[in-house]
Amino acid sequence: MFSKILIANRGEIALRIIRACRELGIKSVAVYSEADKSSLHVKLADEAVCIGAASPQSSYLNIPSIISAAEITDVEAIHPGYGFLSENAHFVEVCESCQIKFIGPPPEAMRLMGDKMAAKDTMRKVGLPVIPGSSSVVKDKDEALKIAHKLQYPVIVKAAAGGGGRGMRVAHNDVRLISVLMTCQAEAEAAFGNPNVYIEKYIGNPKHVEFQIVADKYGHVIHLGERDCTIQRRHQKLLEESPSPAIDSKLRRKMGEAAIKGAKAANYSNVGTIEFLLDEDGNFYFMEMNTRIQVEHPVTEMVTGIDLIKEQIKIAAGERLSFNQEDIKINGSAIECRINAEDPDNGFMPCPGKVVFFHAPGGPGVRVDSHVYQGYEISPYYDSMIAKLITYGKNRAEAIQVMQRALSEFVIEPIKTTIEFHKRLISNPEFLRGQVTTEFIEKTLGGGSSQNESR
Amino acid sequence: MNVKELKDMISLMNENGLVELEIEKEGLRIKIKKGVSGASEVFQERYIAQPSAASADVLPKEANTKISKYIEVKAPMVGTFYRSLAPDAPSFVEIGHDIEPGQVLCIIEAMKLMNEIKSEVKGKIVEILAENAQPIEFGQALFLVEPLE
Repeated sequence: MFSKILIANRGEIALRIIRACRELGIKSVAVYSEADKSSLHVKLADEAVCIGAASPQSSYLNIPSIISAAEITDVEAIHPGYGFLSENAHFVEVCESCQIKFIGPPPEAMRLMGDKMAAKDTMRKVGLPVIPGSSSVVKDKDEALKIAHKLQYPVIVKAAAGGGGRGMRVAHNDVRLISVLMTCQAEAEAAFGNPNVYIEKYIGNPKHVEFQIVADKYGHVIHLGERDCTIQRRHQKLLEESPSPAIDSKLRRKMGEAAIKGAKAANYSNVGTIEFLLDEDGNFYFMEMNTRIQVEHPVTEMVTGIDLIKEQIKIAAGERLSFNQEDIKINGSAIECRINAEDPDNGFMPCPGKVVFFHAPGGPGVRVDSHVYQGYEISPYYDSMIAKLITYGKNRAEAIQVMQRALSEFVIEPIKTTIEFHKRLISNPEFLRGQVTTEFIEKTLGGGSSQNESR
Repeated sequence: MNVKELKDMISLMNENGLVELEIEKEGLRIKIKKGVSGASEVFQERYIAQPSAASADVLPKEANTKISKYIEVKAPMVGTFYRSLAPDAPSFVEIGHDIEPGQVLCIIEAMKLMNEIKSEVKGKIVEILAENAQPIEFGQALFLVEPLE
């Protein structure tokens, strides 16, 4: 087992990893940008090294700086968290060449699944159902039109190097398709350094159901059930729950087996997530695989009792999985609300600033994963998620009840947050019936904004 | 002695963990004492009636602006600080040395590469704030330099 780990991340996930390290008796090293000097992960780690200026390029994406910090603190492994360098295969290779273990999958699996088209192809070859779409990169508008007519509208244009809900747009007709194609190519080049796009059939009213995979380095692959992440705004998740109200045990077994088959096809190890879309008729299609720990991992932890971060560390240290598929039981129900420093009444505009009063909810069935504390200054340089509120109950109705109570206790002032928005969401009749689809937010709760419409 | 110069001195104290600083130069004596605990702060406030963070006891004769104009040379990267190219080689600079823009002050080793850190100003080394072979982080102060025209 490692004696010291460096956490190449910030915010709540850095805190999460430090907590797991502390419980495993592993020393933790935090890295931070100048803007994060007062951050909680810096205060709680055993050591901390400033690695750059505020911008992510200068700090959390700065590979030489992070590796240098790893060397001077003499760590044995690096945990990348999510976002930043967590799905950067080159970073994995740099770690390996410096004899530092990377806590995550092998770089080849990361590269394969990072190329969204190659990933789809790999899954299709082992028999997973995939969304109908172009079999290769779409170069020009004539090709795009031809494919769209074959698939029939609506279609969605996606960045091949994208993922995480970014770099994708829907088109319902020829005119829109042409403009969307050019916009997506430009955005993909800017965001991912790769302008390649592909086209898929857009599945209307889908549910987003993803399966958590855990795999050791000895070929054992297990799934830990599903998370329903259907509630999204502009492809960004707002609320997640496990189990999914749309899945029965038969479908869970079928999708779980598909997820395991997919992970094995990618020669995967460590933790990962296979995302599926579920259509109105109960058909599921492979969408993409995330080769990292995910933001919403707590809901799986609550219903299975497995600590995913500790599993990541143990797997990277060479341990075998200590459980089989038969040992995994889904008990009760868990829900997570992502609390963001955003103004829902103003197009969800980010609202950085000082948190003068902070009071997190407590009591039975409540878990809060947050790096925010009273007096903390939320900076504008990083993403706007400031807390994850997770509740657990013996069934979905109880988990919802606890969430309603917990949201009413949560105080973060004076900045604007999405707490009130989540209160409305958690009481919405469609949500309560478990009948939502991915267009739910835009259609019912007015999740649109004039500012972002021009995207 | 203006407010900015006082503030510079106080931040110099904070960065170096000093509790008391007394400087005497060319007819001007300045003593700054930091209140480290609640009790001493109260004492300061009662008898000297100064701001609780620091008290300034100033005997102005003429403002000597040179003292607080030291600049810090900060590390532009994470790594290990070396004062010379090799263990038996002479240090690049010592206290009191004059330096020119572009002159190498030290080496920071990062990922097996030796990076030369060069001065951006003409000046004199007042203090060396890091030790040879010490691990240093981004933005850490390495040298105190008195800039010269």
